[in-house]
Amino acid sequence: MESRRRLVRLGSILAVPVLWFVASRFGLIAGLPTPVEVADAYVAELYRDDFWISTIQSTIRVLASFVVAAAVAVPLGLLIGRYTIFADLTFPALEMLRPIPPIAWIPFTILVLPAAELSIMFITFLGAFFPILLNTVQGARGVEVEYPRAAQSLGANSYQTFRHVIFPGALPAIHAGMIVGMGLAWVNLIAAEMVAGGTGLGFLTWSAYTSGSYPTIIVGVITIGLLGAISSALVRLLGDWQIGWTEPRPN
Amino acid sequence: MSKHDDPTDDASTAEPAPDTTGKTGAIALDNLNKTYDPEGEHVVAVEDMDLDVAAEEFVALLGPSGCGKSTVLECIAGYLEPTEGEVVVDGTPVTDPDPKRGVVFQENRLFPWKTIKENVEFGPRMHEGVEEGRAESILDEMGLDGFEDAYPSELSGGMQQRAELARLLANDPAIMLMDEPFSALDALTKEIMQKKLLEVWERDNRTVLFITHDVEEAILLADRVAIMTARPGQIKDVIDVDIDRPRDPEVVTTDRFTELRERALSVIREEAERALEQEDGA
Amino acid sequence: MSTTTIERIQRRFEGGTVPMLTKRVRQLLSIVLFLGLWSALVRFGVLGFDTFVGPETTLAALLEALSGTAMTEGGETIYEHAAFSAFRVLVAVTIAVLVAIPLGLTIGTSRRWEDALFPALEVFRPVPPVAWVPIALLLLPTFRSGVIFVVFVGAFFPILINTIEGVKTVEAEYVQAAASLGAGSRDIFRHVIVPATLPSIVTGVSLGVGLAWITVVAAEMIAGGVGIGYIIFQAYRLLQTEVIAVGMIAIGFLGYVSAAAVHRTGHYLTRWQETN
Repeated sequence: MESRRRLVRLGSILAVPVLWFVASRFGLIAGLPTPVEVADAYVAELYRDDFWISTIQSTIRVLASFVVAAAVAVPLGLLIGRYTIFADLTFPALEMLRPIPPIAWIPFTILVLPAAELSIMFITFLGAFFPILLNTVQGARGVEVEYPRAAQSLGANSYQTFRHVIFPGALPAIHAGMIVGMGLAWVNLIAAEMVAGGTGLGFLTWSAYTSGSYPTIIVGVITIGLLGAISSALVRLLGDWQIGWTEPRPN
Repeated sequence: MSKHDDPTDDASTAEPAPDTTGKTGAIALDNLNKTYDPEGEHVVAVEDMDLDVAAEEFVALLGPSGCGKSTVLECIAGYLEPTEGEVVVDGTPVTDPDPKRGVVFQENRLFPWKTIKENVEFGPRMHEGVEEGRAESILDEMGLDGFEDAYPSELSGGMQQRAELARLLANDPAIMLMDEPFSALDALTKEIMQKKLLEVWERDNRTVLFITHDVEEAILLADRVAIMTARPGQIKDVIDVDIDRPRDPEVVTTDRFTELRERALSVIREEAERALEQEDGA
Repeated sequence: MSTTTIERIQRRFEGGTVPMLTKRVRQLLSIVLFLGLWSALVRFGVLGFDTFVGPETTLAALLEALSGTAMTEGGETIYEHAAFSAFRVLVAVTIAVLVAIPLGLTIGTSRRWEDALFPALEVFRPVPPVAWVPIALLLLPTFRSGVIFVVFVGAFFPILINTIEGVKTVEAEYVQAAASLGAGSRDIFRHVIVPATLPSIVTGVSLGVGLAWITVVAAEMIAGGVGIGYIIFQAYRLLQTEVIAVGMIAIGFLGYVSAAAVHRTGHYLTRWQETN
């Protein structure tokens, strides 16, 4: 039974290239390159420095922006979540900026920031920043008041209470924010690279379209998808390792 | 047993009409076995268990936590399929859940997205159709008039438990399966609920299988108390509760009650010690 | 910015040592400080802020745009751009809702459908919706359908995933309770699975709407045409910085209004929940 299920699931995945092959081979979708053409293009790309540079560049941009976003959003979110005065003074301004899609900032950042690289990183940073911030705020607010009280009664000072009670209490929420944030970092990175041009997988994919090398578009998209999946898996792994204490919900 | 009323006589006064398919509500557990294999670990929850519950009888199933009481109930409800043996209700083996066998869960399972009235009318709506005014009268009886349009989350724990009982009664089951229904309530509310349950049972001709780990509750409510052993679950002893009905809470102070309680406790103690030794051995 | 310092300030506020501003005033102060900071950055030309506009100029430009003046020479008004973007989001999200919710309920309730469909869908999930832009432009017959398709992809996955997740976390005892009350599988689906999944679906839709806005802006910037995303980028090309700022405000406003609408609707639909 279990192996039968596995077989069906494998079949489900394999149906994707098979349908793609049929659709492209028999011209059901005009302009769609065949899997064979894409495989050829992929192999060719693997021998080009440009492809590798783009891949490495996009990866570094996402990782660096994500780490900075988490490093800023988590402490900020904890403070906003626990101190109403601080929240009142900072949160409304942030809430005003939040509904603006990060990618809409790009003309602004190109004008204001000294380097195109920084613009792209800032956009990616924004993509990850708000989901992490919002979840951290909620997580910190969700820590029941008895826990910090218990810690204080046991002699913890306010820094220790934050470090050992509020932060771990908010971790499951922070982790959920990081998963969403990582996804949005990629979305905005690819958009920024397509718009701002220059380098990266987003640009590689877009310039493949403008230059008419259609199989390369799909090479770019597959690579982006792979990297996206790997980075999501890494965030999940980090979460599992950090919040192993949470019990699975009892039934 | 201690139900003296002639059921045919009672039928006219009972609010829901009794089932017309003949005398109903007899449960027979026949060599019931249930094992689980979560991640290769073999757990025997219930082993070779036999128990007969007569129609309209009130039986309490008493035992320590983790002894498989709930598993037994879930087999009778039709949620679980026995690994071996069977559950027979009125001569028919149980295969699926059935409105004839109503269940009250430990944490109430009122549908939070339906109002109290919608919850109470849920059962009738699923088969014969809703009878106008019936939900109101049952809710009234349960002291919940005025809360028809409230959502369960707006009610206190005791009220929720009463609403769940109302939902069950509206469906008119021959058998009521109750899984520690009052264990989460405070002492006072619990006492009120126990009284309410006895009232309803003494009037309506239903079979009740009541799971609890509370010795006094079991003796106070039941005609017979079946005591289960720790894993693997089996019936260790069955105590006849020969105390007259209707019973009120003061009955716990009588000598007979104390005797029965001591007897039940000694069986349980023996079991608990055996369970501890088992754990030490493992 | 040590925690203890903030704690001390908070205490003083609460203890009345420092004159206590009302919550409203504090929140207003937050916005004023932000505008002041923006203004100062532009005035003193920090980084490249001297190339950008300050809040005063932006406000003037916003009022002018709202009066119906074309945003660029001979181009559309802000209302037309907003209408195009909003229409794309509305159509794409509607289609996503109509496809993803039934699909999610099916995958969530049926192991067979889950095995058959979910792995194939998972293949596409990690691809950011924006990456579909060139493929959509290449394969779809019209530009308009291309943008809508990409926005649809953006909204689709959050709704799907949350719906599936919602179905899978419906507590078994609700299903058992319904079955014991005489409900058949169709009734259980309708009266238990669907309402119990609703809170997750609402979460999915609000995430989906957020992604739809990001995607529509990106697609309009990349592919051109009409729409707020387009006008923001076109203004950059023409170096009309005040139009960039007005465009950002417009998209923020639309995003906010749609999020609030989803929130309101969701709140109403799940009003039975304890805390909401």
